Amino acid sequence: MPAVIVVPALFWVTLLLVAGGLSLVRARDVLQRVVALDLLATIVIALLALLSYLRGQAYYLDAAVALALLSFIATVAAARYLDSGGPFG
Amino acid sequence: MISVLLDVLGGALLLLGLVLLTVSLAGVLRLPDTFVQLHAQGLATGPGVIAILASSIATEDATIITFAVLAIAFVVLTSPVAGHALARAAHRLGGRDARGTDGGTDREGDRPPG
Repeated sequence: MPAVIVVPALFWVTLLLVAGGLSLVRARDVLQRVVALDLLATIVIALLALLSYLRGQAYYLDAAVALALLSFIATVAAARYLDSGGPFG
Repeated sequence: MISVLLDVLGGALLLLGLVLLTVSLAGVLRLPDTFVQLHAQGLATGPGVIAILASSIATEDATIITFAVLAIAFVVLTSPVAGHALARAAHRLGGRDARGTDGGTDREGDRPPG
C-alpha cells in the first residue's frame, strides 16, 4: 500500500488516540471509563494494522490480534465484576 | 492495473474505517450517558476497525492478509459480546438515561441468571 495513503491515516489515528485519552479523562463513572478503554484498544489495533501496512511486516498484526483478545477479556471481566460485585459472584 | 484497483479499493476502505472510528469517538466524547455512549462505541468501532483491517488487500502480501482476516474474525466475534456485557452491567447498576427515566422494565426479582 503506498505510503502517501498510509502516513496521513497514521497521523489521523494518532490524533484519534489523543482524543480517546481525552474521553478517558472526561469519563464520569467506572463504566464510561471501561467504554473509553475499549475504544482506545480498538484504536491501537487500527494503529498496529496501519503500521503493518507501512512497513510490510506481518508481526504487527500478531500484536493486534493479541491486543484484541486481551481487551475483550479485560472488558468482559470488568463488566462482570461491576455487574455482580465480585469476580465469581 | 489490478494493483492500482486494489490500491483504490484499499484507500476507500481505509477512509471508511477512519470515518467510522472518528464518528464513534465523537459519540463517546459528546453523548451524555453510558447507554448512548455504548451505542456509539459498540456500533461504529467494530465496522470501523474491520474496514481498516480489510484494507490490507492493498498490500498484496499473503501473510499480512491472513493475519488481518484472523483479526477481523476475532473482532467480529468479540465486539458484540463486550458491548452486551457492558450494557448489561450498566443496566444492573441502575443506569438511568439522560432524561432520568429507567433504562428498562425488569424488577429486582426477575433478573436474568448468570
